[in-house]
Amino acid sequence: MKEEKKITGDDYLLELVAFLATSARGCIDEPPSYGPFRLIDGLSRLIDLPKYATCLKDDDFLHKIKAQIEDKKFSVMFDEREFQDMLDSVVLQVTKELKRRSL
Amino acid sequence: MLDTLEAIRTRRTIRKFKSEPVPDDTVEKILEAGRWAPTGSNLQPWKFVVVKNRAILDMIRKISPGYLGATPMAIVICSDKATAYAKGGKLGRDYLTIADCMMAAENMLLAAHALSLGACPVKSFSTPALKEILELPDGIEPELILMVGYPDETPTDPPKHPLEKIAFLDKYGKVWSTSKGGKKP
Repeated sequence: MKEEKKITGDDYLLELVAFLATSARGCIDEPPSYGPFRLIDGLSRLIDLPKYATCLKDDDFLHKIKAQIEDKKFSVMFDEREFQDMLDSVVLQVTKELKRRSL
Repeated sequence: MLDTLEAIRTRRTIRKFKSEPVPDDTVEKILEAGRWAPTGSNLQPWKFVVVKNRAILDMIRKISPGYLGATPMAIVICSDKATAYAKGGKLGRDYLTIADCMMAAENMLLAAHALSLGACPVKSFSTPALKEILELPDGIEPELILMVGYPDETPTDPPKHPLEKIAFLDKYGKVWSTSKGGKKP
């Protein structure tokens, strides 16, 4: 069996670039709610960067955030309130973590 | 094999797939289901590109924000705009190509479900990027990607509008009343 190509930090960065560029273009024509969906999905993908860019440190807090995003992100399609609550919760947790790390 | 109405009622969009490959004879049954879809003026404006190559699938995933998750294969449903225009004029090129491709897509989604596969239709992709990756000639436009594989999740039923809200008798606004609303077919 052919060995899977190892994904490097550079590969993953380019993947994020492709995702963000195609999302930006797509958002011009897509439903308005897809904008926040792409952003939060992009955030979830960004949290995986340390897996491939070994100069970055894995962050337990960010993984917790990612798990919450993955759990609720598809609610954008059938429960706007739940999606919005998840975004509010992520923002609040990130703010508290910012405070904790800054002060 | 599922009964048609049961297949329609129980099909769900699947976004988590096993890595297990889909046998070619199974893929061919899905393609056949698409081939037999209704088509205006018998235009048959569809072209189906089956993608199994891992590197190509990865590229498609990367330029498709709506391609969430990984699948062992995908089917890209394309429309042949040039041929549709020659035979069907503007209506053929601008409307029937899309309507026909979507009817083919639904046939294929139901066939996949009946064959114990899962699938997810994806419209959020970059058209120029996909054309570049698949080397689609001028006049052939990608309309929809079907992510296909063996399901690794069992989604719950999404909320659906009751028939009272969407079905009418004789004229718009006169509510279709014999149904119980969300009755299963």
